[in-house]
Amino acid sequence: MRDLKHIYYFEKLLENSYNDLIGEAQEQGRKAIGHVCYQIPEPLLNLPGIFSVRLRAPRTTSTEMGNYYLTPIFCEACRAILERALEGGFDFLDGIIAPEACAMMNRCVENIEHLNCCTKPHFFASYVDVPMKSDETTLRHYVLQMKEHVLKPLSEHLGIDTSDAAIRKAVAEQNEVSAVLTEIGDYRKDEQPRITGYEFAVLCLASYCCPKDLILPKLKETAEELKTRVPEPKGAYRCRVAMVGSEIDDPQLIKLAEECGLIVVADRYCFGSLPGRQVIELNDEEDALTQVCRYYMTSGQCPRFLNTKKVQERHAYVDQICKDYHADGIIIEQIKFCDYWGYGRAFMNAVMQHEYGYHVLSIDRPYNVGQSGQLRTRIQAFIEAVEIKNIQKEKGE
Amino acid sequence: MGAKLNSVKLGKLNKPGKRTATRREWRGFKDTMYDFGRWLHNLMVMAKFIMKPTTLKAAFTYRWFSNYMAAFDYIDRHIEGVRGPQLRIAHIEYDSIVEHLTQTMDTLFKCDKRIGNKKGKYDELNKKLVLMDENGMMVLATGFPNLKFLSKEIPAIYTGSTVAQDGVLHYIEAAEEFQIPSDVCPMPCAELGCAIEEDYPICGACAVHCNTTCDGSLMGNQIEDRHDHIPSFTMAAPMRHQQKSVLAYSRDQIVEAIHFIEEHTGEKWDWNAFAKNMKTYNAQNVEFEQWMEINKTPYPQVVGNNIMLYRDAEYMVISGRDATFLKFDRQITALAKEGYKNKVMAAKEIRHRALVWGVHAQYYTAFNQWLANCWGVVTLCDMLSFTLTKPINYEDHEQALLDMGEYNMNMIMRNHSNGGYEVGVEQLWQYCEEYHADMVLMYEHIGCKSMAGYHGLIEEEGRKRGIHIVWVYHALMNPTKASRKDMRNDVNRYMKTVLREEPLDPTLVDFDDTVRW
Repeated sequence: MRDLKHIYYFEKLLENSYNDLIGEAQEQGRKAIGHVCYQIPEPLLNLPGIFSVRLRAPRTTSTEMGNYYLTPIFCEACRAILERALEGGFDFLDGIIAPEACAMMNRCVENIEHLNCCTKPHFFASYVDVPMKSDETTLRHYVLQMKEHVLKPLSEHLGIDTSDAAIRKAVAEQNEVSAVLTEIGDYRKDEQPRITGYEFAVLCLASYCCPKDLILPKLKETAEELKTRVPEPKGAYRCRVAMVGSEIDDPQLIKLAEECGLIVVADRYCFGSLPGRQVIELNDEEDALTQVCRYYMTSGQCPRFLNTKKVQERHAYVDQICKDYHADGIIIEQIKFCDYWGYGRAFMNAVMQHEYGYHVLSIDRPYNVGQSGQLRTRIQAFIEAVEIKNIQKEKGE
Repeated sequence: MGAKLNSVKLGKLNKPGKRTATRREWRGFKDTMYDFGRWLHNLMVMAKFIMKPTTLKAAFTYRWFSNYMAAFDYIDRHIEGVRGPQLRIAHIEYDSIVEHLTQTMDTLFKCDKRIGNKKGKYDELNKKLVLMDENGMMVLATGFPNLKFLSKEIPAIYTGSTVAQDGVLHYIEAAEEFQIPSDVCPMPCAELGCAIEEDYPICGACAVHCNTTCDGSLMGNQIEDRHDHIPSFTMAAPMRHQQKSVLAYSRDQIVEAIHFIEEHTGEKWDWNAFAKNMKTYNAQNVEFEQWMEINKTPYPQVVGNNIMLYRDAEYMVISGRDATFLKFDRQITALAKEGYKNKVMAAKEIRHRALVWGVHAQYYTAFNQWLANCWGVVTLCDMLSFTLTKPINYEDHEQALLDMGEYNMNMIMRNHSNGGYEVGVEQLWQYCEEYHADMVLMYEHIGCKSMAGYHGLIEEEGRKRGIHIVWVYHALMNPTKASRKDMRNDVNRYMKTVLREEPLDPTLVDFDDTVRW
């Protein structure tokens, strides 16, 4: 396929934690709020006057300072983010709002705060208790937490309007981005997708790391361009997979996988679009905050949700997206030392193989995959296994 | 050999390649006779237990049961070098734990479909059995006087790994075969392994899970739940327990848990029973506070191992349901007061007053005793034992629910490993000041990411305050990653190279106990 017109532009935006669009928004007087987890609803961090930046540490090499403060058995993403913070990479932030979701990411942000990595005088860090279950009791708790530890500090520290109208405006703005990304992402359902998993991962990730209104025009242009893009001929991809698992904030992993001959058609991982880039429908009967919280609570697929119903739903959701996107197999990945996905990966691997009958590749990986030969070999072997099994299936063996 | 502290060269009692010590320790006539008497008492308790047909059958059914062959050695390890009031306190505590555990196992085996309840003999008892997560708050059980609340993980994994250091390695391997990474905490990992191996008793009317103490524990429960095949409820404790805004949710979870239990057992929550048990529980906490007050003085009495495991059992598992424990507590207080009055030393020399922070190694819970015997480091309290002691209100029902909610968030370990910098780091320095501690034994549990996240901050803050931070690496239930000897070496290095001190008992500096239970 021909390269997308703006793919280089989007890739450039992802080369650093701080990018041109963040600079542009700050010049307009808007404040940057760092966030680290899906469970702090993005619209609340994109109220008028502020914009959210999902923290990541692109092009990380060593994490020596991160290793010292957090120890080498700590999640590599957290160590890399702290390392970047200690280098001054997040000095542009006006605040960080972090949930106590995974303990490691929480500790990472606590270290950022207590080591004074962000030096703006009005900088603040706020910690939020977020749901582990999905029910109405938990929703009340969730809403209260958002009021107390997200909206209140935003209003107190930065003078942000946190009214119902402001939340609705932020939701509408995010919906615009989500609608475009859904339109683009839906091409992955086609028999011959006109967008690769890597390209989509770049666009989607950029939407988490840049002010939404500033990235929207280029996303719209890309959606327009895709309408007439000629897909690769049949047989270009040896198999279609759903990528599932822990945070992927570096599209190089998707690229590496696709270079082996597969195409990633569904992205059910943290920083992916499933869930995260769907339109949030609000009604006028209930306040916007409750509706937003309910949406994030019910759509959340983090392994941290521990009630049985939600656990079963997590596996059923993967099954559903595999069906919707016609995936031949699933790659379940986990950043090394992630406790949630350490268990979640093993659990899902067993369930998706033995209960749902999918071909599954289960991998743990470094934060920075680079050009990992080991990963490449495993993915190549997986593709061959899927192909062989499909041939056997066709022969009725 | 006399009765004085450090009069026996304890290192020589260890023989490389042997499961037990070469012989029992001579503590002087009075103490040795007392110790022997308690040994006989424990022998009777265990003999009575093992003679039961259900127990005998369990011994041949469950792999983990064989760990309890080491029960006597376990007690001996924890009272090494101990004399006088400390010996008596230790025996009150450990012997009560042994007795309670036999009762727990007895009920489990009776209700077990593989053993006692194979033909429905104990169906009625089983209908009254609620399985509680090992880390669950048993205060919840106090309002259901007609129900039995037990944790199947405690005899199978938790205590088993303490009694025999390699006791749960098989289950860790079973979980790792299931693809659980080897870097996670071995406790939920072993618990899951036991579930995967179908090696838990099959019993219970329903189960209550919880999200604590850590992310790994929370995840392990999800998978374990599938192996229980009984209705389950997850009681979610908010993590950020220092924030006032989370209390209402924690309270709501208690209410939902009560409703769940009522629904699945047919029993009703009984406020009178709750009040009766809470009177005991509150009184127990008062006793504990008195021990800690004594520990702040130059003559600490209830120290080291005598706090940690007993506090775990009494506070978290018994939770006021057994008034005998209050009687034990009062005996301990009396002994401690007497020891304080007579200026009894808990070690030959108290060279360092230490606090223990982080999570202790299950396979080396006797480490505190070694510290005192070898280096004169007396551990005054540990992170897990620094728990809430405020009285639970039992007269105002709404307040009682709120108190239970607060306790649930603040149960052992989670009250410091969760909750943020204030309780994970800052509170340590407050305790150091209160207890006049000059040293912190900082356990670096290799799989515990919650505490690992404070490594650098604790080191820097400790340095600023002039407190010795001695890092001791371990792997909780997996001695193959960091052995007992490795743990001792971490301390030996610090004492010799940084503090330039000489050991109180040189035979304890370097000895081989790799094979010992």
